[in-house]
Amino acid sequence: MTAHALELRNLRKSFGKTEIIRGVELAIEKGRIHAVIGPNGAGKSTLYNLITGLHPVTSGRILLKGADITDKPPYEIARRGLSRSFQVTNIFPRMSVLENVRCAMLWDLGYRYSFWHFVGRRRDLAERSEAIMEQTGLGSRRNVPAGLLSYSDQRALEIAITLASGADVILLDEPTAGMSRSETEQAVALIRKISQDRTLVIVEHDMGVVFDLAETISVLVYGQIVASGPPAEIRANTAVREAYLGPEAA
Amino acid sequence: MEVFAFSLFNGILYGMLLFMLASGLTLIFSMMGVLNFAHASFFMLGAYLAYQISAYVGFWPGLVVAPLIVGVIGAAVERWGLRPVHKFGHVAELLFTFGLAFVIEEVVQLIWGKVPMPYDIPASMNFAAFSWQGLDYSAYRLFMLVISVAIFAALFLFIAKTRIGLIIQAALTQPNIVSALGHDVPRIFMWTFGFGCALAGLAGVIGGNVLGTEPAMAITLGPIVFVVIVIGGLGSLWGALVAALFIGIVDNLAISYDLSFYPLFAVFGVERDVTGIMQDLVRLTTASIAPVLPYFLLVLILIVRPRGLFGTRDV
Amino acid sequence: MAGLARRSGIWLAAVAVVLVLPWIFSSGFAITTLNQMGVLIIFSLAYNMLLGQGGMLSFGHAVYFGLAGYSVAHVLNGIGAGTLPYVPVSLLPLVGGLVGLLFGIPIGFVSTRRAGTVFAMISLGFAEMMTALTLILIVFFNGEEGVQTDRWAGPEPFGITYGPDIQVYYLIAAWCLLATLAMYALTHTPFGRMSNAVRDNPERLQFVGYSTHRVRWLAFALSSFFAGMAGALHALNVEHVGFETVGVGQSGLVLFMVWIGGARAFIGPIFGAVVIAFLNSNLSGITEAWLLYLGILFMVTVMFAQGGLSGLILMHESIWKTDVRLFRPMVRPYALGIGATIVACLGAIGLIELIYFMSTRSTRDTGTSLYSVPVDAASLLPWLVCAGVAALGAEACRRAYRPMAASYADAIETVKAGAAR
Repeated sequence: MTAHALELRNLRKSFGKTEIIRGVELAIEKGRIHAVIGPNGAGKSTLYNLITGLHPVTSGRILLKGADITDKPPYEIARRGLSRSFQVTNIFPRMSVLENVRCAMLWDLGYRYSFWHFVGRRRDLAERSEAIMEQTGLGSRRNVPAGLLSYSDQRALEIAITLASGADVILLDEPTAGMSRSETEQAVALIRKISQDRTLVIVEHDMGVVFDLAETISVLVYGQIVASGPPAEIRANTAVREAYLGPEAA
Repeated sequence: MEVFAFSLFNGILYGMLLFMLASGLTLIFSMMGVLNFAHASFFMLGAYLAYQISAYVGFWPGLVVAPLIVGVIGAAVERWGLRPVHKFGHVAELLFTFGLAFVIEEVVQLIWGKVPMPYDIPASMNFAAFSWQGLDYSAYRLFMLVISVAIFAALFLFIAKTRIGLIIQAALTQPNIVSALGHDVPRIFMWTFGFGCALAGLAGVIGGNVLGTEPAMAITLGPIVFVVIVIGGLGSLWGALVAALFIGIVDNLAISYDLSFYPLFAVFGVERDVTGIMQDLVRLTTASIAPVLPYFLLVLILIVRPRGLFGTRDV
Repeated sequence: MAGLARRSGIWLAAVAVVLVLPWIFSSGFAITTLNQMGVLIIFSLAYNMLLGQGGMLSFGHAVYFGLAGYSVAHVLNGIGAGTLPYVPVSLLPLVGGLVGLLFGIPIGFVSTRRAGTVFAMISLGFAEMMTALTLILIVFFNGEEGVQTDRWAGPEPFGITYGPDIQVYYLIAAWCLLATLAMYALTHTPFGRMSNAVRDNPERLQFVGYSTHRVRWLAFALSSFFAGMAGALHALNVEHVGFETVGVGQSGLVLFMVWIGGARAFIGPIFGAVVIAFLNSNLSGITEAWLLYLGILFMVTVMFAQGGLSGLILMHESIWKTDVRLFRPMVRPYALGIGATIVACLGAIGLIELIYFMSTRSTRDTGTSLYSVPVDAASLLPWLVCAGVAALGAEACRRAYRPMAASYADAIETVKAGAAR
C-alpha cells in the first residue's frame, strides 16, 4: 500500500482552554482534489496552520507522504514538498512579480543560501518562472511590484508562488475569496490545470466551486470531521445538511 | 553591615527610579507597539525643566509642573509626529523616536549649553534623615524613595481598579486588543504616550539633582531602561519592577564593595603583575565591570530565556 | 545583454570619476573629505544590507566597524614593531573584514531570530556593552585615548608608502569600488533575493522553504564583513581608533546617512554618505547647530520621505522614461514648492542660529553675523525678520505643496495609463 499524500491522525489543538481541533482523522489520496468545507469557526484555517507547521499541535500526528512532519518548522515542511496559499493575500509586496515567483523556487532548485550565483543568469530559474507565469497568466505583469497588482492578479500571484516551490501537495486557502464570477471561473480553470499530477487540498466557501472541482469532500464542524466522501454522497448526507448547510436545506 | 544596608537602600532607590522610566516605556510599548527610544530624553527634559522652574519659584512647584509640561510635550509629539508615521510600521516609529532623542539632546544643548546645570537638592530637604553607625542618610533620598513608591502604588491601584486600567491590563497581555475594543484608539495612544512621558519627566525631576542634570544623561540612562524591560519581559510591569530593582541593587553593591576578581585567577596560578591580555582580567573589579553588567545580563537573558523573567510574549 | 552593457558603462564611469576626482579637488582638505566619503560609502552600503535589503534596523553596527579598526591598528603596530609577520598594508581591509565577520557570526546568531524592534534593542545592547568594554579591556582598547598607529609600516612595494594622503585616497577608492561592486552583485544572488523577501514578508518566506533566521544571520554576517572592511580603512585613513568608533553615535551616524540618502535604492546609501560627509566637513566649522539640522532632516525624511532623498529623485524615474515632456507642467508648481521650502528653512535656521548664539556666547558682546549680515542679537529686529521669513515660508509651503503633489499625481496617472495600453 502506498502512503497517502497527507494523513492526519487524531489531531488536536487547544488555544488556552478552548479546543479548536478535536481529534481530526483525515487521509488524502495522492493526485486527488480534496475539499475541506465547514461553517465559519469550524477550524479550517487552524487545520492548515497545524499542517504547515505555523502552530505546534497539542496532540496527534501529521504525515506527509508517509513521513512524520508533526511540529517540524514550516520551512522544513515546505522543503518536503508541501506548499500553501493564503486566504489573505500573502506576497512580497515590494518585489516584482518575477522576483516573487523566483524566490519561491530557489530552494527547490538547490540554490539554498547561495551568494555566488546570479539569479538573472540561471536557465533553470528562467525556464520555470516563465512556465509558471505563463500558467497563471502573469507574464505581462512580470516587472510590476507585487504590491501594485490588481486584487485578482495578486490572487493569481499567490497561487503562482505556491506552485513555484515545486511542491506536489498543495493546500489552497479560499482561492476564490472576494472574486467576481468571471474571475472565479478563471481561477477554477487555473486550479484544474495545476491539479494534474499534484495533490490539492482546498478550503473554500463557494459551494459551486467545491462541487465543481472536488473529487472528495470532507466536512469539518467544530473541530471534527463529520463526513467524508465523493460530492454526490456529501450532497445527500442529511447529517451534513443539518450541521452545515442549515436545517432548512434538509 | 552598614555599607551593605546603605548600598541596598541606594540600590532600591535607583531601581525605583529605573522602574518609573521602565513602567512608562512598557505601557507605551505594550499598547502602541512603539519602543520609545526618546523615553530617557523626556526624563532629561523633566530634569532641565525642573531646574529652570526651581531657579524662579523653587523646587516644589517644579515637582508638579515639570512632569505636566513633559507629558503635554509627549502627547503633542505623539499627535503631530508619531501618528503620521504609524502607517509606515513599527520600525519607522522606532526611527522617528531615535531621531527625536537625537534632536532633543541637541535642543537641550541649544538652550542650556553643554555644561551640567547646578540643579540642587532643595534646601528644605538637605539634611540627614537618620544616621547609622556614623553614616548619614540624606532626607532627600528618603523623599525620592517615598515618591517613587507612592507612584508605584498609585500606578498599580489605577491599573487594578479603574476601567482604563482594565483596558491597559488587557493590552499588556494581548497587544491587538485595544483596537478591538472600539475605543477612540488614537486618543488612547496619545494619552498613553503623554502619560508615559510624564512619568519619565517626574523621574527626571526627582532624579536630576542626584544623578546630575547634563545633556548626556539621556543617552546614559536610556539603554539601561531598555535592558530593564527586556530582562523583565516585554509587557510585564511586575517584571519591569523586579528587573529594575535587581539592576539597581546589583549596580550599587558592585560599586560600593569593589571586590577584585584577582582571587579567581590566583587559583589558576596567575601572577598579580602579569602582562599581556591577562593584565586586564586580573585588574577587573566589581566596580569596573558594573557598567557592562546590565548588557551582559541582557545578552544572557536573550540566549537563555528570550521572553524575559516574567514575560508572556516571546521576544 | 543591453542592460549589462549599460551597467558596465556605469561602473567604468565610476572608475573614471574616482581617478579624476583628486585632480579636481586637490587641496589637502578636499582629499581628507574624499577619503572619509570612501570609508563611509562602504560602511553605509554594508549597513543597508541590513536596513534596506534585509529589513533589520541596527543601532550597533559600528561595533564591527570599530573592532576591525582597533584590530587593524594593532596589526599595523605589530608590523611596525616587527612582532607580527608582514601583511601588505593594501590587504589590511581584508583583515578588517575578517575581524568583522568573526564577531558578526556569533553576535548575528543570537540577535537575528527576530527582526523589527527586538532586533534593534539587542543591537543597542551589544553596542552599549562594547562601549563599556572599551574602558575595561585596556590592553586592546586603551581606554579613552584609543589606539594610535602608523600606516607607514613594513616594506614599500613599488614605492607605495601610504605616507601621503593621496596614496591612501587611491587605496580607499580601489577598495570602495571593489566593495560596492561586490555588494551590488550580492543583491542579484539567491541570498540577495531572499534577503529582500525576509524584509517584505518573513511569514511567507518560511513557506517557500527558507529559514528566516538563517537568511537574516547570513545577511548580518556579510554586512559585518563589509563594515569591518570600512573600519580597517578608517584606521588606515586617520591612523587612530577611538572608543567612539564602536559606539551608538557612530552607528547612529551611519543610520542617518543611509536613511537620509535612501534605504530603498542601492544608490541611496552612497548618495547619503557623500552628501552627509560633505556637509559634515563643511558645515561643522560654520555652525554649532549642524547636528541639530541633521537630526531634524532625519526626522523629516522619516515622516515624509520613506525613500530618503534618492527616493524623492527616483520617484520621477518612470516619468522620465515615459516622456520627458510630462515634466513641463510640473516645473512651475515644483519651483514654487521648492522655493517656499527654502524660504521657510532660511527663516528657521536664522532663528536657531540666533538662539544658539545667545545661549553659547562667552562674552557680553551681542554682535554676530547671520548669512554674512552683521546683526545685533540683543535687538529685536533680526529675531522679527527671521520669524517673519519663517512664517512666510511656512504659509507659502502650505499653499504650494498641494499643487506640487497634484502635478506629480497627474504625470504618474499619464504614465500608468500609457503602461496599461
